[in-house]
Amino acid sequence: MPILSIIAFLPALGAAAVMCIPNSRGLSLAKWVTAGFMVVDLVIVAGMALSFDRGAAGMQFIEKIPWIPSFGINYFVGVDGISVTMIVLSALLSLIVVFGSWSTDHRPKTWFVMLLLLEAGMNGVFMALDFALFYVYWEWVLIPMYFIIAWWGKEDRSYVSLKFFLYMLLGSVLILLGILAIYLHPQGGTWDMVELANRNFPVGFQMWVFGLFYFGFAVRVPVWPFHTGHSDAHIQAPTAGSVTLAGVLLKTGTYGLIRVSLPMLPDAAHQWAWFVGAMACAAILYGSVVAFWQPDLKKMLAYSSVGHMGFAMLGIASGTQEGLDGAMILAFAHGVITGLLFLVVGMIYDRAHTRMAPDLQGVGKKAPVLGGMLAFAAISSLGLPGLAGFAGEFLVIVGAWKSELPKFYTVVAGVGMLLGAAYMLWVIYRVVYGEPTETVEKSMPEARPIDLLTAGPLMAITVIIGLNWNVLLDFIDPAIKILTQTLVRS
Amino acid sequence: MNILVAIPLIPALVFFLFFLLPRATRTKMLFLPIGAMAVSLVLSLMAFSTVFPGAEKLAEHGAQFTSYTIGVIGGVPLNISLRLDALAALMLLVVTIVGMAVQVYSLSYMKGEERIGWYYAVLSLFTAAMLTLVLAGDFLLFYMSWEVMGLCSYLLIGFWNTNDEARRASIKAFLTTRVGDVGFAIGLAYMWATVGSFDIPTVLGSAHTWGPGVATAIALLLFFGAMGKSAQFPLHIWLPDAMAGPTPASALIHAATMVAAGVFLVARSLPIFEASGVALQVVLIIGATTALLAASMGSVQHDIKKVLAYSTISQLGFMFMGLGTGNVSAGMFHLFTHAFFKSLLFLGAGSIIHSLHTQDMREMGGVGKSMKVTTVTFTVGTLALSGIMPFSGFFSKDLILDHLWREGHYVIYSVALASAFLTAFYMARLWFRVFSGTPRKAGHAHESDMKILSPMIVLALLSVLAGATTLVFGEFLGSETEWPSLVMGGASTIVALSGIGLGWALFGNGRDPEAVRARASKVYMIVTNRFFLDLVAEQYIAGGYNRLSEKVNWFDKKVINGIVNGVGVACRQAGTQLRRLQAGRVQVYQRLVVAAVLVLVLVAVLATGV
Repeated sequence: MPILSIIAFLPALGAAAVMCIPNSRGLSLAKWVTAGFMVVDLVIVAGMALSFDRGAAGMQFIEKIPWIPSFGINYFVGVDGISVTMIVLSALLSLIVVFGSWSTDHRPKTWFVMLLLLEAGMNGVFMALDFALFYVYWEWVLIPMYFIIAWWGKEDRSYVSLKFFLYMLLGSVLILLGILAIYLHPQGGTWDMVELANRNFPVGFQMWVFGLFYFGFAVRVPVWPFHTGHSDAHIQAPTAGSVTLAGVLLKTGTYGLIRVSLPMLPDAAHQWAWFVGAMACAAILYGSVVAFWQPDLKKMLAYSSVGHMGFAMLGIASGTQEGLDGAMILAFAHGVITGLLFLVVGMIYDRAHTRMAPDLQGVGKKAPVLGGMLAFAAISSLGLPGLAGFAGEFLVIVGAWKSELPKFYTVVAGVGMLLGAAYMLWVIYRVVYGEPTETVEKSMPEARPIDLLTAGPLMAITVIIGLNWNVLLDFIDPAIKILTQTLVRS
Repeated sequence: MNILVAIPLIPALVFFLFFLLPRATRTKMLFLPIGAMAVSLVLSLMAFSTVFPGAEKLAEHGAQFTSYTIGVIGGVPLNISLRLDALAALMLLVVTIVGMAVQVYSLSYMKGEERIGWYYAVLSLFTAAMLTLVLAGDFLLFYMSWEVMGLCSYLLIGFWNTNDEARRASIKAFLTTRVGDVGFAIGLAYMWATVGSFDIPTVLGSAHTWGPGVATAIALLLFFGAMGKSAQFPLHIWLPDAMAGPTPASALIHAATMVAAGVFLVARSLPIFEASGVALQVVLIIGATTALLAASMGSVQHDIKKVLAYSTISQLGFMFMGLGTGNVSAGMFHLFTHAFFKSLLFLGAGSIIHSLHTQDMREMGGVGKSMKVTTVTFTVGTLALSGIMPFSGFFSKDLILDHLWREGHYVIYSVALASAFLTAFYMARLWFRVFSGTPRKAGHAHESDMKILSPMIVLALLSVLAGATTLVFGEFLGSETEWPSLVMGGASTIVALSGIGLGWALFGNGRDPEAVRARASKVYMIVTNRFFLDLVAEQYIAGGYNRLSEKVNWFDKKVINGIVNGVGVACRQAGTQLRRLQAGRVQVYQRLVVAAVLVLVLVAVLATGV
């Protein structure tokens, strides 16, 4: 059974189904159909993850059929442990986002179509093993995201959606050039991403192609100083857009580095490590510093993502087992935790119609459950052991110290832990704690059942991963081990 | 189920349950956390009995150990484990006894609080984390529970978070301790890169092979973590502010247990410090500096809880001095006795605050006549802390002084003696102000109920009796202890008595403390301003960071985003200009074609090399 294709195309099919719903029954039916398709998709994803052979090396559930034979392009999909975790994240957050936007009343049909198309693209990008297919999915995800911002965003949506799209496209162009360079190289000549990892390209060639890919992926991650497309987008995007953007789309960047740059260009990865690490450190510090003062909660979360993804990038730069394991755990955990944060901030915004921290003091007293959820998410984000945020950060720090990177990179990451705690506690200080402001007093009803259904699963996952890193590492670690062996060999 | 797992797990489960329950239900189910605490206490006593009284028993039973694979790195399992040894068993007793006392006490003290259920939930989580920490068989689990304790401390300090002081104090506490934790985390990374393991016996066993440089670095990084948690100079600034939390929580977390975790960490990893040598000197110096400075600051506070907070900092300094001599017992025995008498003092202070509704000692007075039980127990605590025979503090403090002298640390010894003098002084100052004389502004006190008094009575008994265990204690931990010698004990007694004497001279018989202040000097001013450390931390470090963040925000918006937008604008401008070339005017196209042909011809000519 072509299980991976089903996972990727089922949401697209769902999108078609939603489009067929007559307008008169738009919202009420569209959301149920969407949720139905996504639940089924998530169940299939879970089944795939459970039947995935975690002990075996290499790609599984492979499907390979000719697509454009004249160029040797195949429809080639398959997953290893890294892909599995990312697909789980994508399917999970997509469904959660549907709950999070349960009462969307502006063009509801189109909205749910976009969410379904977005999921289809995200699932696809994490399973594509043919470079051409990878690139198609890589671009695919931008289109629904563009519309989500452009049609459901805030006041500045048209400017920001265009800027976001063009910025991402700039990154994509670099990646396309990289893909073509590899394909056209005498030792290339194939689109097969698994095969390309064995080709041992000359070091000189690797060096500049790595640069293309690095900057291409860096725009997506986003790495400082290419982050402003993202931060603007988050301010304008609706909650669901922010959740998927920060929760899943950013991970395509780190995923790309791990799937493409490290295995295909291992020598360059080694040579460039100091630079990738330095940029990661800059992102950690910069993101955390900007997040601290920022009164707009969504912008603050956008910058916190810059900081957290900096940790993931540092883990990738380290090239060690610990660091890469950590980077992947962090990618997953950040998806869950930041998703949760954006959702709770969205709930607060829907009630108070403001996201400015100074107006929101005292949510915890007025609505203890809602405030508690925000505090929980903030505390997970600052890396409390026992919750998901810790494992990744800690392993990255351990891996960075163990690697050949300068030791002060690790010190910077350590300071990042402190600064991360600073801005997150500052959010609790300003929003959860204190006497309620007038706005909060008037407009902050307690969390509803749908809110608990939205946030609850993410909170539970945060605890489960925090108490048992193996939930993720069982999948990630063997795949990373193969990768680190490639890196050592180079 | 394994007893070692059950000890921390039971309170942890109570926390999870309370986390999920609605507020009203929690409030009705307070018997759960208290029951869980009692079970943990009983199990801890059982665990203790399997390793007491020492080496033979331990050898007979074997070290008790249980482990859990939390992750797998490169195919190798990463285990976290619980291990029971003498040090752990001792700490189990301290934590569960004080924890039990505090939980019973809180029933009355926190009665009527809307969020009392949450208070108990966090206390339970704290207990679980602290019990995990003392049983931790590896540094990873140690660090994890260490951080969770920090969270509980944060949550309890900010319990009354609609109060500005409390929410400020909570954030200050978490961040200051996290400064230390950064060092701890990097120390762990260094440890992993050196040994490839976090398992405590494995790490300690190989410490002497690392070379002094690595050992010093790792030891100091760990000690930096300990300085944050145990409030050592200059990271002590969070602890006095932490008194904004509920008093029983202060007694448990900020006096007896969590703040002692740093001392416990150094005691646990002492072989690393010994392999370094230098690190031990640093521990001595930091401990001595802290003991003296904190004692001096404690001598000028007017808030009864803050006096006790500075006293805790100072006593933790003593414990570090003890460990700095390289002797586990010297540090740990003081931790052991201090846990009882300091939590007793906090609970006593709470009893007084509960009755008088003020923490300002200038408004108190004459409490001795109306609160008999509180007065007697508090006096026991005062004498124990001041180091008066035969109360426990005398024996444990003497052990430290004795080791300092014997190892030839004469300067440190005299600093310790001076701190001991100040300790006796500030406690006398506190005692005379609160208990003697006549009631002042706060009015007449009335005695608290038995839920408050019975834990104090138990702790008072322990504060008296703990000293008698001096010899057993050393044998149990496997590092020799002795009764105080006549000379050393005599010297410290004279010092303590003269401290009390000075306190009586200045504050006895209801003498007016403002008169003393009138004679205040520059020194007094510097000390009351906490050596300006808090000012620096709050105004310059925290405030400076805020200003930096604002500036970087501006930079981000104007410069980085400006460049990005600039590129966009430039593209559009270029488009506007280039558009003119395609305006549909044939003349322009013709000119372009001619120009292009000319260029191509030129290139062709040059290329053929004619």
